Amino acid sequence: MEIQAKRGKWMGLFLLFSCLVMGGFFTSEANAQKPVPGGTLTISLAAEPSGLDPTTNPSAAIKRVVHYNLLEGLLKVDRNGRVVPALAKSYSVSKDGKEHTFVLHSGIKFHDGNPCTAEEVKFTFERLLDPKTAAPYRMYYEAIESIQAVDPTTVKFKMKKVDSNFLFNMARGDAVIVSQQSADRLKSAPVGTGPFKFVEWKRGDSVIMAKNPDYYVKGLPYLEKVTFKFIPDPSAQLAALRAGDIEVIAYDLAPENVPALERDARFKVLKGNTTTDAILAMNHSKKPFNDPKVRQAITLAIDRKAVIQGAVGGYGTPIGSHMDPTNPYYVDLSGLYPYNPQKAKQLLTEAGYPDGFEAILKLPEPYAYARRSGEIIADQLSKVGIKLTLEVIQMGQWVDRVFKNADYDLTVMGHAEPFDIEIYSRPNYYFRYNNPKFLELIKKAEGEMNEQARKKIYEQAQRMLADDFVNVYLFIYPALPAMKKEVMNWWKDYPTIVVDAGEVYIQK
Amino acid sequence: MLLPQAKRSSRPPGGRSSSPQGAPPTFFMTPVAYQFIKRLLILFATLLLVSGVIFLVLQVIPGDPAQIILGIQATPENLQALRHKLGLDLPLPVQYWNWMSGALRGDLGVSITYDVPISELILSRLAVTIPLALLSIFFAVVFSIPLGIYAALHRNRPGDYGVMVFAQIGLAVPAFWAGILLILFFAVYLQWFSAGGFKSWMESPLGALKSLLLPALSLGLIRAAVLARLTRSCMLEALGEDFVRTARAKGLAERVVVYKHALRNALIPVVTIVGLQMGELLAGAIVIENVFNLPGLGRLVFLAIGQRDLPVVQGVSLLIAFFIVLVNFAVDVIYGVVDPRIRAGSEEI
Repeated sequence: MEIQAKRGKWMGLFLLFSCLVMGGFFTSEANAQKPVPGGTLTISLAAEPSGLDPTTNPSAAIKRVVHYNLLEGLLKVDRNGRVVPALAKSYSVSKDGKEHTFVLHSGIKFHDGNPCTAEEVKFTFERLLDPKTAAPYRMYYEAIESIQAVDPTTVKFKMKKVDSNFLFNMARGDAVIVSQQSADRLKSAPVGTGPFKFVEWKRGDSVIMAKNPDYYVKGLPYLEKVTFKFIPDPSAQLAALRAGDIEVIAYDLAPENVPALERDARFKVLKGNTTTDAILAMNHSKKPFNDPKVRQAITLAIDRKAVIQGAVGGYGTPIGSHMDPTNPYYVDLSGLYPYNPQKAKQLLTEAGYPDGFEAILKLPEPYAYARRSGEIIADQLSKVGIKLTLEVIQMGQWVDRVFKNADYDLTVMGHAEPFDIEIYSRPNYYFRYNNPKFLELIKKAEGEMNEQARKKIYEQAQRMLADDFVNVYLFIYPALPAMKKEVMNWWKDYPTIVVDAGEVYIQK
Repeated sequence: MLLPQAKRSSRPPGGRSSSPQGAPPTFFMTPVAYQFIKRLLILFATLLLVSGVIFLVLQVIPGDPAQIILGIQATPENLQALRHKLGLDLPLPVQYWNWMSGALRGDLGVSITYDVPISELILSRLAVTIPLALLSIFFAVVFSIPLGIYAALHRNRPGDYGVMVFAQIGLAVPAFWAGILLILFFAVYLQWFSAGGFKSWMESPLGALKSLLLPALSLGLIRAAVLARLTRSCMLEALGEDFVRTARAKGLAERVVVYKHALRNALIPVVTIVGLQMGELLAGAIVIENVFNLPGLGRLVFLAIGQRDLPVVQGVSLLIAFFIVLVNFAVDVIYGVVDPRIRAGSEEI
């Protein structure tokens, strides 16, 4: 690894140097940066979505295909993690925080030609709140009391209570605006307002979409046609990219394949963050994990760097609490409790386990990073006397035994939902972390409309989780999109679950 | 030979082997019709049994479909609503009855993930998997039988060793790895083929065939290795038989001795194994279709299991069972063609 890192450095220097030289030859740098319309793009994703309706099925695979590309909400999270306008060109909140007003762009049309007005927004959220729709994330919108279409482009939301997360929730894939005429066809032929129109879903193979010529943002999209191709096997993905069958691996090149692809001058790999917090979860309802000293010992006995190196090829960002760096409220606590096996041993002795103890670590079968992390963690904990038995289990079993019934000691899991720190305020969540003070903090944050004050509260919440050693916060799963050199404007970080092709172009 | 016996015992009980003794009632139908109806009844009984087992096994495996669809954050009310929508809250016998009565009408239900009728889904996937299976069997037979004959005729000479080494390698290399090597060489390095995916037959028949070549080859190679070894040993056995000596003594040309007398006898176990391989190919296709990213039946059922799309898993399993029973029947027919003794035997009944 040392040698490769060095070579990487030299390569970097070389590239920098050649760029400088090239820059001298091609003085019209700005020209090269200008997006070019036209072209088609084939993008690979590992998982095929189960249906194409993001409002009735929470699967991330669905959002990656349809959100932003086919279906849009009033707001969206941009590539820097900020909530920005989408269908709404502006929005405002009343002084008491109980009334949100959105002003839509005028002349927005659905792909079937029907206009998208305030009436459709009203319909969308009334449908979402209707228990018959069985929207999996209805709870995000339950603070809405009523929706009023003031005029064709103005819509008002009256709230039951102040909910400072409301704007973020409006940017989720669950809140895409749908029309009355086509809502029931979302699952197989979605009709939206996005930069691309749905063309065909070849089941088992791909979803094809074409440019929406009537898109309300002038000049967008650049691409004529986008195909999402579903290739579950990581080496098949890599081979497809090299053979020219696809142009982009959306965000999940296998970490072990990065060096090989980086040596190939035809391709580039972007290294960013996702919202997936990989954690070693501990069951607080079970001995000895109910003892904070034991949890601290486990935290100190784990060398995150080694875990990241072994589990994700060294590309993940270490974390110290349950929040990812793309979140505006993130505070870096990864250095708060550094690796210290001597102290860990001492803490175990103080807690009454001088010779350590035995426990079972359950690992979900589908996730290679979780399995690998588990193996490394077991090795590291054995050095302080904690003997782990590894049990690799199917996802169905994980949900049933670990998640629903908290029938486990330790488990490694990646929490993919963006901004999900509130799970720690639920005492029956599978960690069984019961801290009324934390619940209080979350309630306070949700009712706080002042951005600065909110940031402070969420910082406090992150610190509380770290100081309580609730779980061991390992790393943020890396985003590793890989593509041909000519593909421009691709997202590096993934602050929300989306694969946005709307602003991507191919450099000629 | 052990294998043909194993085959015989795997036949449904009450097949032809018991017929010569048990005199069938021939007063109201011909013996052939009687045999046919008997087989048909066995086929239905087998399928009924299989369907019951499939249904029960899928009930036992952990993982609630509603939970998997709605995710781990789902509320109990939403889970209940979805279970109701999917008919999962009905008593088990009612669920089974609904499924089976639909299946008899050719309606296997609707896929939870894809939202299309399952029969339609299966048909479109068969357009990939059946040609793939046939093509790989074709490769296997085309390579293995000539090689096996050649090796038998050149026993203990360099040619024989060459074939045996090939067969050893073929047996040792798993199909998925052979597939990856083929991709690396033909798709990534030479760029003659695409690394995976499938062009539909409607779009371009040649393109579709081309996208099946590498996967069929990687599936076929392993089969070829088995068949080449088998052909060789059966040929050697047949060449040592008395009738071959007699044929030679009659002064028949060596070509006639080898191909007309020895080969025909040697091929019976080979045909049995080819038949068994046909059934097994559907299982092999699961892995290869994933490596080559082919939208075939194997990949359909693989994903459906992961997503707990139970109606699809049930439908495909039933189809595979049906297919294997059918192939067994076809193998029996081909026996007759290859070996007149068997044909004569069946006409006597």
